[in-house]
Amino acid sequence: MVTQMSNKKKEYYHSVYLETDKCVGCTKCVRICPTEAIRVREGKAKIDSTRCIDCGECINTCPVNAIRIISDSLDELKKYKYKLAIISASYAGQFAEDIGLEKALKALFHLGFDDIAEQAMITDITADIIRDYIRTHPKIRPILSSNCPAIVRLVQVRFPSLLSNLLHIESPISMLAKYYRDNITIEEKLKPEEIGIFLIVPSASQVTAVHQPEGTYKHLHDGAIAISDIYCKVMDIQKDLDKDNRKINSYANGLSWAVAGQEAQEIAADDIRTLAISGIHNVIDILSNIESHRLDQYDYIELRSCSQGCVGGSLNVENPFVAENRILNMVRSSKKLDIDNNYFFKLYREGYFDVIPLEPRSIMELDKDIKKAIGLMKKVKETLNKLPGLDCGVCGSPTCKALAEDIAKGNATLEDCIIRTRKLKS
Amino acid sequence: MKVCEAAVSNSLHEHWAVPDEVKDGREFILNPPEPELVLDYEIESRNYAKAGKASSDIKLTLKQLGVDPSVLRKIAIACYEAEINVVAHSKGGKMHANIYDDRVLVILEDEGPGIEDVEKAMLPGFSTADELAREMGFGAGLGLPNIKKNCDAMHISSRLGYKTRLNFFVLFDKLINGNTNEQ
Ligand SMILES: Nc1ncnc2c1ncn2[C@@H]1O[C@H](COP(=O)(O)OP(=O)(O)OP(=O)(O)O)[C@@H](O)[C@H]1O
Ligand code: SF4
Ligand code: SF4
Ligand SMILES: [Mg+2]
Repeated sequence: MVTQMSNKKKEYYHSVYLETDKCVGCTKCVRICPTEAIRVREGKAKIDSTRCIDCGECINTCPVNAIRIISDSLDELKKYKYKLAIISASYAGQFAEDIGLEKALKALFHLGFDDIAEQAMITDITADIIRDYIRTHPKIRPILSSNCPAIVRLVQVRFPSLLSNLLHIESPISMLAKYYRDNITIEEKLKPEEIGIFLIVPSASQVTAVHQPEGTYKHLHDGAIAISDIYCKVMDIQKDLDKDNRKINSYANGLSWAVAGQEAQEIAADDIRTLAISGIHNVIDILSNIESHRLDQYDYIELRSCSQGCVGGSLNVENPFVAENRILNMVRSSKKLDIDNNYFFKLYREGYFDVIPLEPRSIMELDKDIKKAIGLMKKVKETLNKLPGLDCGVCGSPTCKALAEDIAKGNATLEDCIIRTRKLKS
Repeated sequence: MKVCEAAVSNSLHEHWAVPDEVKDGREFILNPPEPELVLDYEIESRNYAKAGKASSDIKLTLKQLGVDPSVLRKIAIACYEAEINVVAHSKGGKMHANIYDDRVLVILEDEGPGIEDVEKAMLPGFSTADELAREMGFGAGLGLPNIKKNCDAMHISSRLGYKTRLNFFVLFDKLINGNTNEQ
């Protein structure tokens, strides 16, 4: 197919979508969105696809559940001869002690998977790899963790000058996918496309990352299934699980990265100073400081979009505090794993997990031509002087400044400001 | 100028940093043309909670004008260091960003107390930062050298007991404009 890509706007995949019928136009989501991606016009919200980073902030705030996440269904498994589930660490925190991690993992075989792999398996080696990356890139400070896909996209849209600070290595889950696909191809004598690799994920941005990965050289995953979907199924088949005597290796020791702050703690060393930030609005503050070189004293910064880390993602079922507590308990009572990591480390050194330099998705500029952009900015400033400055959001734009920008771009009018219109009348 | 003022032992000090390639450097700073857009800010003395706000706003505005990320980062550093100096070392002042289609000229003017020896202040490691500034993590004496490193032309002038004026500009030479791959 011949397409003139350069002339076309890139289409972005999104797992977050709006059920317009349900929306009551309350503007709550408009004000919380960290990239100002939402506007309410004519009583209904609309998400701008170029700005949305699938962080999921809007989902939790909507009073009528009009914003939802689309993830893949288990039916997708039918398309493949061999099915592997790669399980995100926060999965372990969802189940009460009476079910426990082992049973929860066994369940995946009952749901149709031929094998499973846990993110927790490679936590230690990932830490080794990241430490090596930090030490071999002394000119880049601070290095920013690229583990959370919402954060990668946030940097692409709002902080393009920090793209080179992002850790340019596949995330642990993608490392596993890559490694397993190559191995299964050989061991099971299958073509790569006969293998279905599915991630069991805690958040919207992880679903998006599966369908539209950033920086990846080749096809890694075939689908992303919500932890909450699996959870419901596990509850249904509990009896079968009781009878299942298969042995499962679980890697409780490596689960901690599902909890905010743990990655930074584990990577820290005598020569490596780390910092951890979670919650997308906190992350934005920090990135702005990093942009002005105010945090160069840190070697590595862990960044998570969800406030408690992955246990806080909206595709989990358990309360994040409870999940966090369970996971940390499991880690505490687990034995240190004895896995031979040299092979993985060697692959990393050979560049097997490298990613393509991440590209900006600049949404910030008013126009590509600076002269036009300055003209628009002048208009924005003039308009802003006419607005009340309350940032109430009633107009359907997140702030008065955003409304002024919308007006300058021709997407709104001064009459949209109800406060101003009312004042003029009285 | 009044006689009693001239009697003060301190004379006007200034420092220019204009590389040869930047031909219009001095002229541009001494007689700046009419800017396309001006941003104005008041900087309060010792208000560390607010410190950095003006620089952030300048950065955001230039981001919206499509200034190249690497150039933007230089501007962000220089603006921030300049703003903090007014917060930390002066009685407060004003910051302006004059925006042109090829550069941003940043002007800071404070209410004193001025700098005794500007050449010395420019040296890496020289600092008179007070206890509070040090507690806030400043005082390495690297602010002015960093501004110099990150801008395309700078001028600072001061005299003990008087205002300090700092001007610098950064060229948008790597403008996104004109370099797009789109046909
Ligand atoms: N606006 C100003 N008014 C008065 N003195 C100033 C002003 N700006 C700088 N100085 C003087 O110049 C010195 C050097 O400034 P510089 O920004 O290089 O370092 P610093 O502010 O002391 O420390 P750092 O910027 O590394 O935190 C200051 O310590 C102060 O004595
Ligand atoms: S998912 Fe995040 S970025 Fe996307 S619209 Fe919702 S709040 Fe905004
Ligand atoms: S939060 Fe947003 S999507 Fe939900 S009802 Fe209000 S305006 Fe509509
Ligand atoms: Mg300083």
